[in-house]
Amino acid sequence: MNVNVKTRRFLTGVMCAGLLAANIGGVTLAQTPVAGSPVAGEAVTAEPGQDVKMMLLPKFLGILPFDQANQGAQEAAEELGNPTPFDFVGPTAENSVAGQIEFVTNAPAGGYDVVMLSNNSGDQIVPSAVAAQEAGTRVVTWDSPIPTGEGESLFVAQVDFDETGQVMADMALSILGEDGGQFAILSASPDAANQNAWIAAMESALEDPKYDNLELLEIVYGDDQSERSYEQAQALISKHPDMELIMAPTSVGIVSAAKAVQDEGLCDEIKVSGLGVPAEMLEYTQNGCAPEFALWSFVDLGYLTYYVSYLLATGAIEGVEGETFVAGRLGEYEITKDPTRPDVDALRVLMGPFTVYNIDNVEEAAG
Amino acid sequence: MSDAILRRVRPEQFREFILLFVTVGLLLFFASQIPNYFDPRSVNRLTTGLAITLVVAVGQVLVVLTRNIDLSVSSMVGLTAYVVGTILTRVEGMHPLVAAALAMAIGLALGAINGLIVAYGKVPAIIATLGTLALYRVVLVEFSGAKTVTTADLPDWLNDVPSATLASAGGYDLRLMVGIALLVAILGQLTLRYLPFGRRLYAIGSNPEAARTAGLPVQRDVFTAFALSGTLSGLAGFMFLVRFGNITVTAAQGLELQVVAAVVVGGVNIFGGSGSMVGALLGVLMIETLQQSLLRWAGISEFVKDAILGLLILVAVTADTIILGRLREMWVRVRRRDHARAQVAIADEGGVAHGA
Repeated sequence: MNVNVKTRRFLTGVMCAGLLAANIGGVTLAQTPVAGSPVAGEAVTAEPGQDVKMMLLPKFLGILPFDQANQGAQEAAEELGNPTPFDFVGPTAENSVAGQIEFVTNAPAGGYDVVMLSNNSGDQIVPSAVAAQEAGTRVVTWDSPIPTGEGESLFVAQVDFDETGQVMADMALSILGEDGGQFAILSASPDAANQNAWIAAMESALEDPKYDNLELLEIVYGDDQSERSYEQAQALISKHPDMELIMAPTSVGIVSAAKAVQDEGLCDEIKVSGLGVPAEMLEYTQNGCAPEFALWSFVDLGYLTYYVSYLLATGAIEGVEGETFVAGRLGEYEITKDPTRPDVDALRVLMGPFTVYNIDNVEEAAG
Repeated sequence: MSDAILRRVRPEQFREFILLFVTVGLLLFFASQIPNYFDPRSVNRLTTGLAITLVVAVGQVLVVLTRNIDLSVSSMVGLTAYVVGTILTRVEGMHPLVAAALAMAIGLALGAINGLIVAYGKVPAIIATLGTLALYRVVLVEFSGAKTVTTADLPDWLNDVPSATLASAGGYDLRLMVGIALLVAILGQLTLRYLPFGRRLYAIGSNPEAARTAGLPVQRDVFTAFALSGTLSGLAGFMFLVRFGNITVTAAQGLELQVVAAVVVGGVNIFGGSGSMVGALLGVLMIETLQQSLLRWAGISEFVKDAILGLLILVAVTADTIILGRLREMWVRVRRRDHARAQVAIADEGGVAHGA
């Protein structure tokens, strides 16, 4: 199985490079390793002005984090002077899984060199991603990976997934205090690979005796729809009279939960925390409903993803373990094995770090 | 005794009674399963949840009565909520009533488009509104530019409306939003009952050909029904904005199914011509009770909930059909027997008279 995947990867790599050699004047397969060979400690830099057709495919359109990723990718595209503007496309939230599969399936026919994918379809995306790779379209995931890594060139991780779990556990502890208390998790959709990984990481972080007094009641799903998340939050409040915290690792869930708690007038009894966008959370942090939450910069994530994809598509990097490269203003990065997916053969570029927001820094970040 | 009841009421009038009975049964069942079920806070949450669906359902009844359907309601609600929300973040000091009127005007425009396509374009309603369901949503996605309307940007009065209360007894509140929804339902019922327009909707749905031949303004009335459904969706969009505050492009997605389910469960015939606002109100009550209660029912996994909801709707509608069918048979039998007895009595009287 593993050999199979590797062989397939290799073949795709060759085909991809061949296709690019045909596409891009001056860059040939023979020259590529010379130009971008990963000599230890020497990071590859991008050569601007090359023509690469790219697609930025978020989980779905219409929420602020993905829009910010788009801004970051735009910034990188301008810096690199790619004559072909990339396409920011995506399904609606309701149709996310089927819609994403459709976009990836049609990408080779659309002449795309790279699809930048925030995967919301779990492993259901694998057949179309593998087919795309075979047809010469690279699939670079960001924000949320393909769980088995199949059909994925590499994954641009916003933060270490284990760290996300740790940060959530620490925020829960800091809000609930040493004597602890009960809390529940309000997630996005049950299929979301990143949320599921963060929750799993949080659960294992909670095994540390330091967190013995924190009791996780249950995990509910609001499907990243504000009304559903709001109703789920209300239901949690009804169900668990002693609950003191709702932890929502999704930007839609956290604001909806904060609004539900505020509407009930329960901000003193129940706090909200998780992953949120400062501009959307400002009010709730200031009025004490959500004293602490965390996030990374989605603008930077979009920027880095664009750089990695550009470097891959132009052949400056091959997408193998140990390569290092420079991503514009963000500096130097290395491609490593993905430690959060130890059972599969997957590669990762780790962005980091986390910012924890509270009353002291939220206003500045909200802009 | 059942004969005596059957002599007085028609079987269709039992339907609302049965629905009420089933809903009460459900409430009692969930009360036995969920602690603090009838606690004031829980009840307030549940009733507030009803309001938006009810307003949309009232509009849907008007359309369904004419043997049509409006599937685009969820997109109209979402689009209105988003547009009005965006306007409120940009225009300072807009009066709440102006904002509500604006929402209804936007809804009216969207509903009028549906009405034109169906009534004058002669496109089957299910196709036309399936089209505008997608179309209005895409307009929203494009208009929004992937931004979210958040409570932080909205005026302060919007935060106070959801908990605004008209009347309160022992912790049980009648929230302003619920009051508005009930008022809409009452006005709807009065329209159906007493206004010529309302009566014509029944005639059109029962037999469109006959209605046309009889000279009823069928096209105009169907158009008006769609326009009203749009207007009420606009109002619901405003309520949606007020209640949830955070509006993304997916706002209200899937609401159309809930509304159609509530209307059908409430005994409004999907083939037009029969039904009432009282039925729709009970339908909404039942569907919302189910949905909200399943969220709170600890004994059940997240994934099974939708299946249970679907199953219960099927059971409710099937039971309703069977019981109603049985009742109608009994009603016919009682009527026949009474009729036969009356004939005999007349014959007897005649005989006596002759004999005398």
